[in-house]
Amino acid sequence: MINNKIGIISCSGEECLGGTISRLAVRKMMEELKPGMVSTLCLPLFIAGDGGEREFAEKYPTIAIDGCSKCCAKRAIEKYSNQVAGSVDVAKIIGEAKALEKPLSTRHLTDEHKEFIEQTASKTCQIFDEIAAKQ
Amino acid sequence: MSKIKVIPCSGIGKVFGLLARESVLMVTEEKCPNDTETLCLAHVVTGDDEVVAKINGETCITMDGCAKYCAKKSVEETGGVVVKSHKVPDFMKAHRGEEHGTGTALTEDGWKYAEELAEILADDVKEIKSGGNVL
Ligand code: SF4
Ligand code: SF4
Repeated sequence: MINNKIGIISCSGEECLGGTISRLAVRKMMEELKPGMVSTLCLPLFIAGDGGEREFAEKYPTIAIDGCSKCCAKRAIEKYSNQVAGSVDVAKIIGEAKALEKPLSTRHLTDEHKEFIEQTASKTCQIFDEIAAKQ
Repeated sequence: MSKIKVIPCSGIGKVFGLLARESVLMVTEEKCPNDTETLCLAHVVTGDDEVVAKINGETCITMDGCAKYCAKKSVEETGGVVVKSHKVPDFMKAHRGEEHGTGTALTEDGWKYAEELAEILADDVKEIKSGGNVL
């Protein structure tokens, strides 16, 4: 049921590796770990959108996944929509220095990057299940 | 002259956002690394002083995934000067019927299309560097 979906929004940071990981962790949640149970939205739509997008986090409990400790997604969601129900900082999982490495094309994903995506998605999954249990 | 900012949107739901992101990475990392750089769009939308200082009054090129033009709008809102704005579907005509992939991964045709988009962006960069009027 659509009302039971949980929102997951990543920063998709274009400037560093953490952003690539955050983005791919959301995709993994959507496609593999929680198919049909995740609702997502392009983050900049909170600002640029004019079709009620800012109500997103009021409609769905929303988890923010951020690529580094600047936590742009979390802050933008909370500024323009609602408090997040949970948040994941990729830098806390893979280390700040790694997270701030150069941005990565999906062409150049290594086993190490895939492991980072796995760990980030797994942390997100844990928060997802905690939220779902309370619904 | 500071580097030209080439900024994709953070589209995550469909392949268009990934095409925008990958084409920009080809420009900033491979084709024109000395003349261009990218910025996290999610950081831009926070309006943090740090990112405003980086973008305000700077020459920017945007590549959006759809007609919502999130990158263009958000960059302009933050004071960036968007001298050239594109959206991925603008160049689809010659690619009708091709499968480009998903928001997670591109197909071979998707990578060819991303390369074509990157060439368009690289031409913009050359034009701006040579002082041409690209407005
Ligand atoms: S949280 Fe970090 S990686 Fe993500 S958009 Fe902000 S600055 Fe970029
Ligand atoms: S321009 Fe379209 S695809 Fe890109 S972030 Fe905005 S809504 Fe998403």
